[in-house]
Amino acid sequence: MAEASHKYLHAFIAEATEQLEQLASDLVRIEQEAPGGPLWDSIFRRVHSVKGSASTIGLTAIVEISHAAETLIGKLKAHNAKPERIHVDLLLQATDALVQEVQHASGSERAPGSGDTHRELTGKLTEASRALPEIASPPRPGPTAKPVADPSLPRLDVAFSLARSCQAPGARTLIVQRKLKALGTLLEMDPQPGALMQKKGGVRVTALLATARGADEVRAAFDGIPEIENVDVRLAPPANGPAREAEPPPPPRAVRAVPESAAPEIRAEATVRVRAQALDQLLDQASDILHGIARLREAARQLPENAAAPFEAEIDRLRRTARELHGGVMTARLTPFSSLTEHLPRAIRDLAHRLGKEVELEVQGGEVELDRTVIEALSDPLTHLVRNAVDHGLETSAHRVSLGKSPRGLLVLAARRERDKVLVEVSDDGAGFDAGRLRKRAIDLGALPAHRVAELNEQQSYELAFLPGLSTRAEATDLSGRGVGLDAVKSAIEAMGGKIVLRSAQGKGSRFTLELPLSVSMANLLLVQVGGELYGLPMTRVVATTEYDLSARGGEGFEARSLAVMGQLVRAYSLAKLFGLPSLAPPGPRPFAVLEVDGLTFALSVDRLVGQEEAVLKPLFPPIDRIKGLAGTTVLGNGRPLLVLDPRGLHELAEAAQRVRGAA
Amino acid sequence: MPQRRVLIVDDALFMRNTLRDIFSAAGFAVAGEADDGVQAVNLFRELKPDLVTMDIVMPYKSGIDATREIVQLDPGAVVIMCSALGQESLVMEAIEAGATDFIVKPFRGEDVLAVVKKVLGE
Repeated sequence: MAEASHKYLHAFIAEATEQLEQLASDLVRIEQEAPGGPLWDSIFRRVHSVKGSASTIGLTAIVEISHAAETLIGKLKAHNAKPERIHVDLLLQATDALVQEVQHASGSERAPGSGDTHRELTGKLTEASRALPEIASPPRPGPTAKPVADPSLPRLDVAFSLARSCQAPGARTLIVQRKLKALGTLLEMDPQPGALMQKKGGVRVTALLATARGADEVRAAFDGIPEIENVDVRLAPPANGPAREAEPPPPPRAVRAVPESAAPEIRAEATVRVRAQALDQLLDQASDILHGIARLREAARQLPENAAAPFEAEIDRLRRTARELHGGVMTARLTPFSSLTEHLPRAIRDLAHRLGKEVELEVQGGEVELDRTVIEALSDPLTHLVRNAVDHGLETSAHRVSLGKSPRGLLVLAARRERDKVLVEVSDDGAGFDAGRLRKRAIDLGALPAHRVAELNEQQSYELAFLPGLSTRAEATDLSGRGVGLDAVKSAIEAMGGKIVLRSAQGKGSRFTLELPLSVSMANLLLVQVGGELYGLPMTRVVATTEYDLSARGGEGFEARSLAVMGQLVRAYSLAKLFGLPSLAPPGPRPFAVLEVDGLTFALSVDRLVGQEEAVLKPLFPPIDRIKGLAGTTVLGNGRPLLVLDPRGLHELAEAAQRVRGAA
Repeated sequence: MPQRRVLIVDDALFMRNTLRDIFSAAGFAVAGEADDGVQAVNLFRELKPDLVTMDIVMPYKSGIDATREIVQLDPGAVVIMCSALGQESLVMEAIEAGATDFIVKPFRGEDVLAVVKKVLGE
């Protein structure tokens, strides 16, 4: 085949596949959104782009279908009304045919569509376009202009530094930006707040402000902002060269009516495709470099003092760069949650129609980013939960109406970042789980003895759904099966270090909450020593450290006590006792790490607080991944392995130990 | 100067108590405490405090949504977000929603008071 040998065929396949996936999801969205949004533009652009590339390669079938589809889209766009289902169906059909052709061109087994089918499809598309009346398209507004200010206003050069101690430079700069915008028109700011996120303090930021206010007044506005130093505000030299002062020609009236503080220009960043595997290798190598540098630093301690200092200074410089490299690789690996949900609207639409249901999908937090390993591992469980909700959870439109519900079922997928976790919720307003039936099935299947089941309250009964083989459905469907496989979902989530919880209310709906790790990544650790061994505690959970002399209150043999921390009584446990280790600390005051998990605060006594270290956290391997209280491993600068503790698990261990003692 | 009144919002009792101690010791009056976003908005409406400290991740209504509603009620409201390290994107979202400033946990009393005094112009 002549066209298949094209040099950039690969690139075309990858791009076209992505465009067509997006196209399908855009088409589903356009049915639900209010007319007049930017979605038609995006739909048009995608088809147009596929057509353009295909024609370069000579893939005629693709060109013909996309041309016919493009014409229909152009018409629908000009009408600016909600499209009819028949049009969307037709365009989705065209999308499917295009996908088939692209797959065929990629050399896959998939056969091309027959000429007849194509002719029929393009015929239908053309016919549908003809049936729509002509409408002259309105003139397009120009591209969003950069902020424009009255040229007669004076310009102020503003510069300030973020304090070194500033822990959130992006947020701090955003506050300054808001203040400056309130004082005039902010023409430039460098770096932008977004670029400073997760960076260190100490950065110098410059800005250009057009304002009628005096330099003193602008300077005074900084007085109310913490963590800002060395503020410098001065009148900018007039006519600063064309690059800076080149005012765009006055925009047309319609555009000028937009407030000048309108959102800054959003431009898509240039992207390249990277093999996913290459990113994995990069991460491993960046981690190795960090470990190597840490070992070098350790070795430098053996050097004579006069040689050690300059050597260590160089290593520190190198370490900073290596850390930035590692951070950069981690960032490059981040994938938005939306990459998991993009294909869902189409899948749900098809599934729902087959079942005689109407489902509205709402995705929240699509921009929340997770490491690609987490995204990959989440794909199957999430699809399962969604299918389950559409198939078993949501009722048919007719049934919903008879129940007094709206005919359309609502399915919500929401992701949000919470500290070092991401929470993903899958909720629907369908029938919910039937606690009674779950209890009965658990007994029938022998999953739990009847007296245990009888002790369960309603919410605990819902958790039964995660037991293997449990289902509230007698008959299986071809869509999500009989046993719904919630046990498989649960083990997949737990395998990646996450948790899953089900809440439900019969007749009202159900909600699965998935708690997921952001990534396998750098962790800031508090190093503590117990029984001669070092352990790491994740700093994100450490609220404070303190010292306390418990021997004054009953000697060394304490099991669990309360401790006053910052005027608050918290439970105190001995880390040595939890792990059955000997404590080597001399009698007297003991150091404690105060931890917070799920809003619960508790203190752990250790022999010694050793210090802080940033380390690449590696997941646990079997069989030690089954030990409660451990979160992962890492390698210290001196090459020694370190166990990283899981505060949540520790708390559960401590509670369990308490109960045992209480019962004894 | 009249005593400043503060509303403390956090779902962790520990944090509320810690903050209460910090503010009481510095001569503030703790006008109220809320442990979720819904309660926060209701108490703000009722108490009209000079200052709100707002946790971000809370049940029923997040600190961000609560802040947005509070600023709608009173555009001059002073709301200081209490965030954990590594929540910068949420803090930025809160600032967009109208939060005045922020502090990062774990914090010391003097850090909190430094930010509060700065934004209150004292």
